[in-house]
Amino acid sequence: MLKKLTYSLAAAAVMALPFTAQAAEPLKVGYSIANTGLFSKAAPSQMTAYDLWAEQVNAAGGLDVAGEKRPVELVWYDDESDPAKSAQIYEKLINDDKVDLLLAPWGTPHHLNVAGVVEQNGFPLVGNTAASVAIREVQPGNIWFPTSAIPDRIGPALTDMLKEQGVKSVGILANVLPFSQENLQFLVPALKAAGIEVKLNESYPPDIKDMTPLLTQLKAANVDAVLALTYPSDAFLYMGQAKELGISAPYQFLLIGPTIAAFKDAFGPVADGVITVGHWAESQTDWPRAKPFFDAYVAKYGAAPDYLDSALAYMSCEILQQAVAKAGLDHDKLREAISTMTFDTINGPVRFDGVENAITPTAFLQIQDGAMQIVWPKDIATAPIAKR
Amino acid sequence: MDFLLSGQLLFAALVLGSVYAVIALGLNLVYGTMRLLNIAHGEIVMVGAYAAFWGFSLLGLSPLVALPVVGVLTGAIGLFLYGTLFRAQLAANKPVAQLEASSLLLFFGVSIVMQNLASLAFTATPRAYQHLDTVYQIGGVAMTGNRIATLVVSVAILVAVLLFLNRSIYGLAVKALIQHRDAARVVGINVDRVQTVSILAGFGIAGIAGALVSMAEQISPFMGFPFTIASFVVIIMGGLGNIVGGIMAGFLLAFIEIYAVALTSANFRSILIYGIFVGILVLRPQGLLGKARRS
Repeated sequence: MLKKLTYSLAAAAVMALPFTAQAAEPLKVGYSIANTGLFSKAAPSQMTAYDLWAEQVNAAGGLDVAGEKRPVELVWYDDESDPAKSAQIYEKLINDDKVDLLLAPWGTPHHLNVAGVVEQNGFPLVGNTAASVAIREVQPGNIWFPTSAIPDRIGPALTDMLKEQGVKSVGILANVLPFSQENLQFLVPALKAAGIEVKLNESYPPDIKDMTPLLTQLKAANVDAVLALTYPSDAFLYMGQAKELGISAPYQFLLIGPTIAAFKDAFGPVADGVITVGHWAESQTDWPRAKPFFDAYVAKYGAAPDYLDSALAYMSCEILQQAVAKAGLDHDKLREAISTMTFDTINGPVRFDGVENAITPTAFLQIQDGAMQIVWPKDIATAPIAKR
Repeated sequence: MDFLLSGQLLFAALVLGSVYAVIALGLNLVYGTMRLLNIAHGEIVMVGAYAAFWGFSLLGLSPLVALPVVGVLTGAIGLFLYGTLFRAQLAANKPVAQLEASSLLLFFGVSIVMQNLASLAFTATPRAYQHLDTVYQIGGVAMTGNRIATLVVSVAILVAVLLFLNRSIYGLAVKALIQHRDAARVVGINVDRVQTVSILAGFGIAGIAGALVSMAEQISPFMGFPFTIASFVVIIMGGLGNIVGGIMAGFLLAFIEIYAVALTSANFRSILIYGIFVGILVLRPQGLLGKARRS
């Protein structure tokens, strides 16, 4: 029986041969992801973008490699949210799996750890979900960061926006985790320089379970704007308790959290007016690729993409795709292409200067009638800022 | 300083305390009667939260109505784990230290498996829903509907469990088992049955607590760990296996969290909580109400 099966399988394989010979060899695209552990809540927003991209590319006949179309096969491993493991995985992807292209892992620490590996192997990698001033210390050449949400830009840009809105006083609440503190470090001097009074400036630990005491003080401070430098779980805590206590500041900014689809599910109309960091929205018609991406994402997953991470992850795929179409797979040519080309992405044109995106400005999103609108800066805004 | 006397802080402390107390209660019942260290306790809370979420999203069921179903579901998980992993070990009457060690490892495995099963089944994307989110002004204190519900249900569970332990024959048997396993067996208590009751109650209560917190927190496969840690702090502070001590410690922890932050700064929150925790253990290694035990 088994023998028979083997023969028929072999026969089937022989029959299939002429067809497989015609199809181009699949292109292996590798990455590591925090599928389990601390960052596993955040990583899906990136993975969904990769899967969507690969599906679209294959549906269109494959990835254009300097004229030849080849199907894409994603190769990935779980890095368990451990940056050191992520670096090992990229070693393995490059040297054992011999992948043709790389996509980025999730988060700043992972990017920084992987930067050394790609540099050593001379393997170009377009990053995405890393945002820290530390990325500028990475040796340029084999890694690029399309984000514009970097703390030393966010602080001054946020200040400009508040000043333009006539905000006189703010209350700051900051998580003690690195991204929040890095933002705090650049935000406070910018506010002071602009003459905006910081009436309250409190940091809190990430495992905080109740913000009532903090928010009672915040309410008493009666500020024009609340600047809550949150991570996702405390963004939820803030919003629920600010609603309970009736915090009615006309401007409420939350650093990370509101771009996650569950945020709107949790708060509905209460989330309206909340401002957050983000430089992409599907409603920006100057970027013709934005809306089709949004629609395809919603059709595939039944929920809106994360406005920061999903958008950045998809952008990084687009950049790689356009560079490969021009330069093929040769690392030197690919590096040259990524460093010099201007790319047409869902977030508009992108060009790199060193490791950084030289075109996309630091921007802010606001939830308005349940939809995300870019409200700052004005040249890419899709709606004016609304007071809460 | 007069905001320290505000009802707002008191309400926040009571809600948080009741949640801490209820979640830790489940852990304490399981530890007290069987000496099993359930590191997967937070994962049971997570399962309860998901059950409430899906009941609400797919069936339109209020989590408050679904509470008994959720409790039975997580209780059944407890029974399954008891039957497959622990019944034989407990029947073999192994030394406490060995039970603690092996249950710790087994439950660690269970917790990883449950996290990843949930991640596979529901994806790791966080979920949330809106329920009972009207804010009521009662005596100058703002209270969100679901926080009032959480407080009321939690206190009801605490009272019910205390009454059960002190009034019902089963409850007395549970207490007997907590006090002395061997003596309980000698006086003719059906140890296996009492263990079944406490594992059902312990896991069931954890699931119900999960359904309650799901109304105010985002739900994800990895939400359980902080609850596990908080419950261990609470039951160690109160005296391992001491039910009343655990409940007191739950509220104490919440009052420290709210009032100490109000008096100092949120920055000190974790330092204060764990500082006081360590302080209590230095002064009273057996916990607030625990009796000194000789091994």
